[in-house]
Amino acid sequence: MLAILIQLFVAAFSSFLVVGLVTMYSPGAAAGAVTIDVGVTGNASPSLAPVVDDGPRHAVRFDDRQAAMQAFRRGQVDAVLDATRYPDGHVFVRATAPDGEFRTTIVVVQLKQALTSYERLERQQLSTRLTHKPIHVPGDVPSSTYFGFTYAVLVPMLAFLPVFISGSIAADSLTEEIDRGTLELLRTTPLSLPEILDGKALTMVALAPAQTGLWLALLSLNGVTVARPLLILVVVAALGTVVVAAAAFVALAVGERRDAQLLYSFGVLALFAAATLLPENPANAVAKLAVGSATTGTWALVAASVGLAVVAYASVREVVGRMTPAG
Amino acid sequence: MRLRQTLRIARWEVTKGASSLDRRTALALVVSLLVLGAVAPMVASQGATPNDGLYRVGVTQDSQYYGPVREERSLRAVDPTAGTRVCRDVELLVDGPRVTYCDTEKGRAALAALRSAVRAYNDQLMAKEPDQAAAFPVRVSLEYVEQAGPSAQVGGSSDAATGGSASSTAGSGGNASGTGDGAGGDGGSGTAADGAQASGASGPLPATGGLFGSEGQTGSPAAITPPFPLQSLLLAFAFLLPLNVVTQAYGSSVIDERIDRRGELLLVSPASTGDVVAGKTLPYLLGTLLVVAGVAAVMGGGPVTVLAIAPVAVLFLATSFVAGMFARSFKELTFVTVTGSVLIMTYAFVPAIFTNVHPIAAISPLSLVVKDLTGAPIGAGEFAVATLPMTLAAGVLFALGTGVYREEDMFAQRSPPAKAVDALAAHLRRPRDAALWSALFIPFVLVAELLAIALLFVLPVAVSLPLLLAVVAVVEELAKSLHVYAGFARGRFDTRLRPALLVGAFSGVGFFVGEKLGLVVQLVGLPNLELGRAAFSTSTASTPVVAATLLLAPLALHVVTASISAYGARLSRRHYLAALLVAAGVHFAYNLTVVTTLV
Repeated sequence: MLAILIQLFVAAFSSFLVVGLVTMYSPGAAAGAVTIDVGVTGNASPSLAPVVDDGPRHAVRFDDRQAAMQAFRRGQVDAVLDATRYPDGHVFVRATAPDGEFRTTIVVVQLKQALTSYERLERQQLSTRLTHKPIHVPGDVPSSTYFGFTYAVLVPMLAFLPVFISGSIAADSLTEEIDRGTLELLRTTPLSLPEILDGKALTMVALAPAQTGLWLALLSLNGVTVARPLLILVVVAALGTVVVAAAAFVALAVGERRDAQLLYSFGVLALFAAATLLPENPANAVAKLAVGSATTGTWALVAASVGLAVVAYASVREVVGRMTPAG
Repeated sequence: MRLRQTLRIARWEVTKGASSLDRRTALALVVSLLVLGAVAPMVASQGATPNDGLYRVGVTQDSQYYGPVREERSLRAVDPTAGTRVCRDVELLVDGPRVTYCDTEKGRAALAALRSAVRAYNDQLMAKEPDQAAAFPVRVSLEYVEQAGPSAQVGGSSDAATGGSASSTAGSGGNASGTGDGAGGDGGSGTAADGAQASGASGPLPATGGLFGSEGQTGSPAAITPPFPLQSLLLAFAFLLPLNVVTQAYGSSVIDERIDRRGELLLVSPASTGDVVAGKTLPYLLGTLLVVAGVAAVMGGGPVTVLAIAPVAVLFLATSFVAGMFARSFKELTFVTVTGSVLIMTYAFVPAIFTNVHPIAAISPLSLVVKDLTGAPIGAGEFAVATLPMTLAAGVLFALGTGVYREEDMFAQRSPPAKAVDALAAHLRRPRDAALWSALFIPFVLVAELLAIALLFVLPVAVSLPLLLAVVAVVEELAKSLHVYAGFARGRFDTRLRPALLVGAFSGVGFFVGEKLGLVVQLVGLPNLELGRAAFSTSTASTPVVAATLLLAPLALHVVTASISAYGARLSRRHYLAALLVAAGVHFAYNLTVVTTLV
């Protein structure tokens, strides 16, 4: 329960951060979009000012740079564009943005948008001088800037965090039994070590997909529909089994909680990092399953992880049957 | 505390740790580290692209859009056949010059990805043009200039005199989305420099630097990289994640002492509890400092960075010490430690988000790190404001943990809340101790309130403001009464009515003084911040009577509410909770009145 609460907190927090972050990159996404005032000056300002005005920006024309900069310093305009056209046709823009972290980003994003459109316009007018024509950029439609993030980062994160935690708890619970000497007690019962392992590990293995399932349900309540939730749960359960089996093995072989946890954390990190080098990495596969763009590679990964889970668990069970736990 | 004792215990701790690590485990650890070290550069060079092939685009190889689709990793080219349908098989279908998109969230996101891919592709195409003046007709040089700004709009209207408490938090909650601007300018020049570096390294047009010189941010508009507003987030991860390893080991070592009464030997030794705790902590403290220094060296930070992060590291250790003392099992330890580290990370970077929106950003040590990394000057006051609260909080946690480092708590299986009550009660002897502990809780109150702002900030003001005020009221009342309750529950205080009310009053005064002290530190340390100006203007502009009322009203409030909860706390837990609710209600009503009349 606590685990779920903590994860909820972590996820809520990280999504808050990212929503904030993305909003800053595309200020239009923020409700009640911020409109910035841009001082425009220089001999190219007749062509630049309309482009600046075309967007959540308001162009203010100034006769010379000094007047514009003065207004900027007083805070009357948020940025200054000083555009000078040269005889060869190109325009040099000296852009001034306010110094400071939060608003700077919004202003610079807006300036970039305006100047990119301006560049496209100017390029069209000089297109006779070009050997290749630039490809036409398809028309703009309003789209959610969070879409890619939600499916490619949030969903995989929510899928793999429980996996990692399950393994960690499995290691905790076994080393604790060893440390307190209760594992010896359990072994005097008719249970064999693999059976004890089954009892401990299966709970943990079940916990991971249960948590992920809850997450996906919460996401769908939030309007984020996941295309193939069951397959994601299969991947989570399979990888959870692999990780829990590894954690159990480490715990029984090492005995000491501190060393076991250290080894487990680094081991899993290494494993996960190595997995990203696969042609189809698990995080990407989950993202594709969630968004509904699965490929043959994705199916192969699902199958492979289930296979790996069976092999890993069986071999750990086999090894455990023959070992006497450390500690 | 005797140094020799401490050092001897520290040496034991090290030898114990080293001997328990057998050769096989060490070897396995080295192997996994090696794998990690070998894989990390490969992953980094490949780039972490979880969005590979997210959107399917039906495009033939001879289409002009085929190139851009190939270049953009989130797009996957699918050879269209006569049966290919938009939405069912692909998100985008290219037919000659026409692009059809599926009108869903996914389809629109795919179109946006294609648009940016085409732009990047065009820039590449243009870079090969012989006539560069026509290919890139617009050249931009971006510079950042300090702006005086409409400073009067921020926070000035609200009662900023209460520092981190009710009304100033409310003010920032209301204003944050609007006109955030402050003269603080934390790391502003730094972000500019960073942006320039980023564009130089990763901009799509490496060749453009040649025309106008490569210094500053100059080039085609596409090469402009907006400053990354949340560098502190990355910093937090870079510094704090490696620290987790050390704190995990430390927490294990602490809880180890409590299993099978292993800590008994140290407890009966002539060393005092303080010596034992200091000795056990010392090796891990050195470890964390080494880690911090290592990360700082990699990031190019100097001694200031290490000094700024050191309190965070100590706070980390303190949390895991308390966790080790309170937890009943390894599982509980893991949970408590994870919660602690998340809270610390929050404290470290949530304020940094509010840079230039609210002066509270100055309390994040990460803003110091940003400054140090970019070579900006750091004042002594600024340094104190960023590091003192954390050092104080770490001290409080260590004091709490040491309070229960004794036989009756260490080896007893009691729930963490009961242990917490014990730990608090251990430090309460006289009624006036209640005042001290109320003041000591202020850093925690600050963290909780910041967190509340951070989480409620997305809601509309009409909803978020009352919610925020309610959270603030509950948090502050808790801070004023938890230890009071602990004192009554463990028989430290006289439970008769008048002494009980006295304890409550002490608690209220302590909280008030602590709050004001915090404000003084901010004013002295950060004289150029908005908060300082606002606080001064409210107290000088009005008549002495009003000023006195403004000052005394919060005092009266804190005393009254703390007494209410003390009244309940002396009876029982249920009474305490009921009284706490009443106190929070009074506090909430007060906050609401202040905010609605002053704003």
